[in-house]
Amino acid sequence: MTTESLLTKPERAIRVAPSVLAGIGTFAAVGVYVLASSVGLGLWTSLGPGPGLFPFAMGGVLVAMSALWLVQELRRPSERAEGIDRGLVIAVVVSLVLLASVMDLLGFQLSMFLFLLYHLKLRGRRTWVSSLIIALAGSVGAFYAFNYGLNVALPVSAFAPLN
Amino acid sequence: MDTLNELLGGFAAAMTWQNLIFAFLGCLLGTIIGVLPGVGPVAGVALLIPLTLNLDPTGSIIMLCAIFYGTQYGGTITSVLLNTPGEASSAITTIDGYAMTKVGRAGAALTLAAVGSFVGGTIATIGLVAAAKPLGELGLLVGPPEFFALMVVGISLLVALAGKSMVKALISGALGLLISMVGIDPVAGAPRFTFGMDRLLDGVSFVAVIVGVFGLSEILSHRKNAETPLVHAPGLRSLLPTRTEWRRSAPAMARGTGVGFGLGLIPGMTGSVSSLLSYAAEKKFSRFRNQLGKGAVEGVAGPETANNAHANAALIPLFTLGIPASPTIAVLMGAFLQQGLTPGPSLFTEHSDIAWAIIASLFIGNVLLLLLNVPLVGLWTSILRVPTPILTALILLFMVIGAYTINFSVFDVFVMIGFGLLGLALRNLDIPLAPMVLTLVLGPLMERSLRESLEISQGDFSVFVNRPISAVLIGLGVLIICSPLLKFRKPKALTEDPEA
Amino acid sequence: MSRNKITAAFAAAALIALTGCGANASASNTSGEDFPKKGKSIDLIVAFSSGGAVDTAARLVQPILEKELGTNVEVINKPGAGGQIGYTALTSAKPDGYTIGATGSPSVVVSPLDPARGAKYTRASFQPLGRQVIDPAVIAVQPDSPYKTLKELLDAAKANPKSMTASTTGLQTGEHFALAQIQETTGSEFAPVHFSEGASQATTAFLGRHVDVLVANVSDVTDLTKQGKARVLGIMTAERSPSLPDVPTFQESGYEVEAGTVRGYSAPAGLPDAVAKKLEAALQKAIEDPAVKEKMSALGLQTSYLSGTDYEKFWAGQEEDFKKVLPLVQKKD
Repeated sequence: MTTESLLTKPERAIRVAPSVLAGIGTFAAVGVYVLASSVGLGLWTSLGPGPGLFPFAMGGVLVAMSALWLVQELRRPSERAEGIDRGLVIAVVVSLVLLASVMDLLGFQLSMFLFLLYHLKLRGRRTWVSSLIIALAGSVGAFYAFNYGLNVALPVSAFAPLN
Repeated sequence: MDTLNELLGGFAAAMTWQNLIFAFLGCLLGTIIGVLPGVGPVAGVALLIPLTLNLDPTGSIIMLCAIFYGTQYGGTITSVLLNTPGEASSAITTIDGYAMTKVGRAGAALTLAAVGSFVGGTIATIGLVAAAKPLGELGLLVGPPEFFALMVVGISLLVALAGKSMVKALISGALGLLISMVGIDPVAGAPRFTFGMDRLLDGVSFVAVIVGVFGLSEILSHRKNAETPLVHAPGLRSLLPTRTEWRRSAPAMARGTGVGFGLGLIPGMTGSVSSLLSYAAEKKFSRFRNQLGKGAVEGVAGPETANNAHANAALIPLFTLGIPASPTIAVLMGAFLQQGLTPGPSLFTEHSDIAWAIIASLFIGNVLLLLLNVPLVGLWTSILRVPTPILTALILLFMVIGAYTINFSVFDVFVMIGFGLLGLALRNLDIPLAPMVLTLVLGPLMERSLRESLEISQGDFSVFVNRPISAVLIGLGVLIICSPLLKFRKPKALTEDPEA
Repeated sequence: MSRNKITAAFAAAALIALTGCGANASASNTSGEDFPKKGKSIDLIVAFSSGGAVDTAARLVQPILEKELGTNVEVINKPGAGGQIGYTALTSAKPDGYTIGATGSPSVVVSPLDPARGAKYTRASFQPLGRQVIDPAVIAVQPDSPYKTLKELLDAAKANPKSMTASTTGLQTGEHFALAQIQETTGSEFAPVHFSEGASQATTAFLGRHVDVLVANVSDVTDLTKQGKARVLGIMTAERSPSLPDVPTFQESGYEVEAGTVRGYSAPAGLPDAVAKKLEAALQKAIEDPAVKEKMSALGLQTSYLSGTDYEKFWAGQEEDFKKVLPLVQKKD
């Protein structure tokens, strides 16, 4: 306890961390948006409570809590969270977005094969042999297992020759 | 007698070879999830929901329940062998479990943990059987206002117990409720928050949200990966505990069952609380308390019994009242709802065959896990030797397939990615994820019961305090939320609960 | 080397685990001739929660449909918004025959008529396949209620409007219209409570005495009457129902009110002809199956089959009727 407060003391001058501020701002904005649009949905109608009543309450909670959080942060800023591994986040998210974008075009097998190969070989630095085996099992193998074993249709390519 | 007959009927249904296979697969997958340190039970259960959506309701719920308590068993293995808990609820086991490994008693520790888990799980399930009928009959007393009040109690407990900041827990809860409102309004039919997208009319897919928020964000928040640890499976011979070890474990298991069962019934408590308190109980009451921390069997048998008793007892409020007691149970409840089953009193009146088959399968599952766990320790440890990049790639593969197959559309894959980023942001801002899952599942039920209540009272909010049951419940909820203002001090175990 | 083996074993175990799930799904282009493909299951969407009359009827028909079509038929409940959520799912599915749904009017006919609901479908989005039953509306009170006859109940509701709550299965469903029609012809006004998930929720709330009056269909109250848990005061048809022979009709009591729910099966519009023919034929077999009919009447449901085309004409007629009373059940701001 004592060491912690000693450590955080100098940081008090720096005030609230920008990421926390951005978070609070976003929640407050979402709350305001919900409040505004739920009024449009109708809080109360002649037939009873309207579709906007419950969202209105939740929007209110969001705005109120964001405000409260801001007050807490201004009084006593929270310790900075540990940083995230930016490289990992970008690599995983971008590769997933690419995979999802091309899956209907290239089909499950080819797109998943490339996706797995990227994560195993380029990012994971596995050997070629193990990368290829796993990527094949996860793409072609999974496709056949799902399509024929489970009757679950995974997407096929828009171009016939690629299948 | 009636109950016994229905339970026997349940056994007959659960013993068909398909359902046995589902229970077996569930135990197997659950243990794997439990062993893998990166994937928690919430994400694990959510990830496997898509695989079960096309099964008949009985089979799918049997399998998901088996996955759920399988994770509780699996978490022990890494705690004992590696000193890293596979699940938060096994964290305390590392102390004495790993100490036992160091002196060559790893096999005995694992066996005692498995037996303890079996005892705790089975006794808690017997409790479920006993409680089902009487609590189910109270069901008719629960009208819309009472139902709403029950939800309020459940959510306020979770918010109050969730980690350090109640403000953040409320934000998380409100977000979950708002996400659950996307789509066609369940009463008047007006589209809400769909941003003109037809795909959102049916709401955001629950599975894609959970897999994203819990599973993907978990992967995204990995720190620089450590080297794969070296583990050695204990030999078969060392699996047998000595007679002294058995004798010393028995009272610890009894205490663990009591602690776990009692806490499991309370909404908002997680399994970690049970195992921590059970360890505390051993420290206080065990005859060998001075040996705790140096490899005492009580330190393994007690907490492991407690977390399994907890896991099975937590199913009681779900089955009888429709209240999910923890995030994992909330995900399980989501699976019930997707199968067209509403957990709660009506489950036993409208689908009593399914309900009893599931309960019977809980007994079977506990036996299966006992048989699976101990002899296969070698297999489980070998999974730990799979390098992280391969595991990450395979988990991503499963997430993509899981999200895609919900509606056979890439749209849900994008939803999952989006919510993965949201989950990462929430983790970074130190906002607990648990309240969000709970409200995501309870949101539609809460809104419906609120609106029905207000229709009954014709707009008068006093309906919640004029009726005795709901008045008591609402009062309880308010008290819980206000407890920090009253300077009520939480037990230390709660503030340190890693699952919350 | 052993690492590869382990990985392979893990992957294999995972795949085997998956295969065990024996799942089925539909998504493919059909010309219609080979419909239904072997192993491809047909989803039957029920827009109300399980346990209600719509759900029960669908589950009775399902095994016969499976036999006739030679493939799995899965009943999927998508309750909410008085049927609108399920209907939206049905009409936005591919018209390939692998998705069909149970449809109930008036809700299916009326929900697109009210712009406030923002329904994404119109009546033309459905391709009717066959009508199964007409389920007349009834009004019931608690067994210990002071009201012994329909007249006593309605007079009390007239004297003190909105003093009693009455259940419906959602805004603008058959029960809601029935209440509106009662108000229109007799001046008796109840406060509606909308249980938008379906009749099983409404009945449960009535049994728990959370609502005073149960407005439901004959099938919902047949069992309750036998068990003495509800006293049915009136039935809104021209003739008494065989399942409730002691209950007088509204006309006998001097009120001109007829209401009820009519149920059948439909597909999204645009089915290939061959597929539509196969589905219609299978449905007719299933609906008119003697065993199914018998079970239906045990539930208080009188089978009344109409072919797809006739069912559509019937809807058109209903649409005209309901347009007139629609303002009664619309929200007024």
